[in-house]
Order: sequence, then C-alpha cells, then structure tokens
Amino acid sequence: MFCGAVALCAFAVSAPALAGGVTAGTLIENTAVASYDDGAGPRTINSNTVTVRVDELLDVTLTSLDPGPINTRPGDAVLTFELTNQGNGPEAFTLLANPTVAGNDFDVTVRAIAIDSNGNGIYDEGIDEILTAPQTTAVLAADAVLTVFVLVTVPDGVTDTQTSAVDLNAEAVTGSGTPGTVFAAAGVDGGDAIVGTTSALATARGELVVGVANVALAKSVVLRDPFGGASAVPGTIATFTITAQVSGSGTINDLIVTDAIPDGTTYAAGTLALDGTALSDAADGDAGVASDAAGIAVDLGDVAAQTTRTVTFDVTID
Amino acid sequence: MTTFKTITFALAAAAMALPGAAFATQAAASAIALTGDVKAVKVITAADGTETTELVEPNTIIPGDRLIFGTDYVHGGSEAVSNFTVTNPLPGAVRLAPDADPALEVSVDGGKTWGVLAALTVPNSDGAVRPATHTDVTHVRWVLASIAPGAKGRLTYPAIIR
Repeated sequence: MFCGAVALCAFAVSAPALAGGVTAGTLIENTAVASYDDGAGPRTINSNTVTVRVDELLDVTLTSLDPGPINTRPGDAVLTFELTNQGNGPEAFTLLANPTVAGNDFDVTVRAIAIDSNGNGIYDEGIDEILTAPQTTAVLAADAVLTVFVLVTVPDGVTDTQTSAVDLNAEAVTGSGTPGTVFAAAGVDGGDAIVGTTSALATARGELVVGVANVALAKSVVLRDPFGGASAVPGTIATFTITAQVSGSGTINDLIVTDAIPDGTTYAAGTLALDGTALSDAADGDAGVASDAAGIAVDLGDVAAQTTRTVTFDVTID
Repeated sequence: MTTFKTITFALAAAAMALPGAAFATQAAASAIALTGDVKAVKVITAADGTETTELVEPNTIIPGDRLIFGTDYVHGGSEAVSNFTVTNPLPGAVRLAPDADPALEVSVDGGKTWGVLAALTVPNSDGAVRPATHTDVTHVRWVLASIAPGAKGRLTYPAIIR
C-alpha cells in the first residue's frame, strides 16, 4: 500500500490478525523505562508495570451458502449455512430455525439442525452430527467457521414454482443484546463479555423453490391399408405415435413408456423408434425393447421439464 | 461484579533487594521515580446526542477500545539530572492511536532507530520501503535535556487495542 501522507493512512492500516481483534484474555502490560545521568554515571529505572486484560467480544455472523433457492419437491431438502465466530474468544452459539416466514407460499417442517462434522460442505446422513435441543454448537474458537445444515421436509401438495424461506438464527450462549452490553465475569479467564456490533445475534435466510414436473402422454395412430388408403382391413399397417411431454420445472426421473400390442394386430418387427431413431427390438444396449407378446417399452431415463420425447412403432392388422 | 484488573508491581523491589555495599552505585536510591498507569477512554453520548470522552479505569476493554498509557515522573533528588529519556515499548496487543502527537518520537524497528513517524519508513518484503504508519510503531520515547530537583511531569500516549 502506498501512503503519501501518514495522516491519510492512519485509518486504512492495521488489519488485526483476528476479525474480532486481540484474543480475549490477552494481558496488555505496559512498562516505561527511564535513563538519565545524575552526575555519577548513567542510570536506568523502570516504572511499575500496568496490566489490563482484554475482555471477550461477542460477535457472530451467519450466511446462507446456497447459491440460490434450493430446487425441491415434496420430501426432504437441506439448506446450508455458514456461522462465523466474529468475536475474539471461544464461544458457543444456539441455533434456531424458523420455517414460518412472511411471504411463504408454504411452510416446511424443520426436521433437525446438523453440523458439517466431516467438513465436506455436504450433509451426510449418519455422519454429520444432529444437534439435540436446545440446538447449540460446540465452543468455537475466535474466527472459527462452522457449516450448519437445516434439514427440512417439504409438504405434499405444493405446486410448481411455489417458494418458501427458512430463517436460521444464531445467538451467543453467553448472551446478546445492544452492542456494548456487558456480561460481567462471563468472558475468558473471568473477564467480562461484551456484546459487539453484531449484537451477538445473526440471522440468515435459506430459500426453497418447488420444481414439480408433470408428464403428459398422448397417443395417436395413422393407418395405411394395402390399397393406398386409410381403412382398417387385414394387412393394414397402423403406426402408433406416443408423445411424452414433460411440463413444469425440474426433472422426471426414470421415465419409461410402455404400450401393449392391440388384440387383433401383430407388432411389425424392427419398427420401434425414439424421436425418429430406430431402436432394436431386443433387450440390449439401447433404450427400447419390443415384442408381439410383451408390447413395447422405451426407457427415457431422466427427462427435464419442457422436453418432449416421441416413441413410434407399427403394428399390422391380422 | 467486575474485577479490577489493573495490577501494580513494585518494581523498585529489584533495586532494594540488592545488598547495599557491594553495589553502591545501583543501590543508591534513584533520584527519579516513575509511576505508570493506564486509563480507558469511554465516549459518553448525552441525551441530546453530544459526545464527551471520559477517562475511566480499564475494567472492561475490548479490541478497538482506546487506552491512555501514562507515566508520571518525579525528581526527588537534590541535583539536576541530564539526558533524561523515558522509553516505552508498546505492548504487542495495542497500536499507537492515529491521533497521537505527530511530534512524538517513535521507533518502528524495536527501538534501534528513532524519529517522528512521518520521517520513518518500513521495509516491504520486496526490499522497497514504505512510509511507516501508526500500526508499525514499536516504541515511543520522550527526551528531556535535564530535570531540576523537585520537577515532575506526566508523559502519555494514546493506544488502540488491536
């Protein structure tokens, strides 16, 4: 950093090692030394040492780590937050998740609050510690950062694009309040604990948006009789077209389209196709399988909303 | 209840403990006595919004708070002393306050070299130097050419807890 004038720099420098400054409990000891000449030679004397102990500052911040609203559907969802002990001493924090936020289209149920025990940033069932009530973190060192998960359940009956928010609150166990509030002898080494600029309280909001995909199947048939017309007579080839249209948002997983071969008709071998591309009749590497006895089945896998897939096959009227 | 945390050590004890005769020069009572103290500066906001500062005992202090370190000297001897220099290393947990007297003689290198802050520089890691700032100050000192018998005074510097 370049500073042209000391007076201008003075307020811009001094980045303490810790966000919360000198660690609580630190002793500040000051001694002055005087040297002088009394005619008999140089002498040195010390002043007494004055000592003050730095008290504990209570500060906390909380932020949502989700990049945006969590896309969800009825069932379980996880919201991720980061808590930072912004104070200068060891402190634990109580956590409270509030799923009833003004403006919610629906309210989730909070199942639990969990700590990212293995530090991988992802909630791992059975590995990450579930906090028991009253949900309280371990004592965190000054500047320590903790990833917190709020486990929620989205109720049945929600519809596509509905949103919900969950507020997570953190409060210093020692206490909170107006900045400057003193909790006597409640800090490190019997020192005081003092509420800092964050009021020793923090709130962060996690958001959910429902992505419900719906699939609509439509089936149509085109007849071609042996005489160039469209009548249903023996020998007529009937081409069935099944469209699977996924609407809403999100994804339909493991979508399989099946259809039986109508009575009085026979599957025309080798005619199964997906989006115009032929699929073999055998159960093999491709998505389709077809036979006169079992009908047709096409595995579309995961289909994103706003996608349409088309399955076609021919039968011959007996 | 807060505990009062200013601890006072009687540092004259070191001199008094020495056997008298063998160390005549050192054992002779110092003509000058130094007494240190520390106060916290609290800003008190009145109901009408005006702010006043008050020096209080540093019972409750946190990073960012302002302290005033003071040293009282008194010349209890009968003859003037010369080259009177009071040196005060800054405790590591504080920095010199930005509004400290610009004429205060300071060191930014552990007491090796001295000057007013505006005249001092600090080497960067790349070997270049930058102007020293209040944060860099390691020591402050006051130099008085001489002190007459009976003279006394008070030396202070403001500091902010890092």
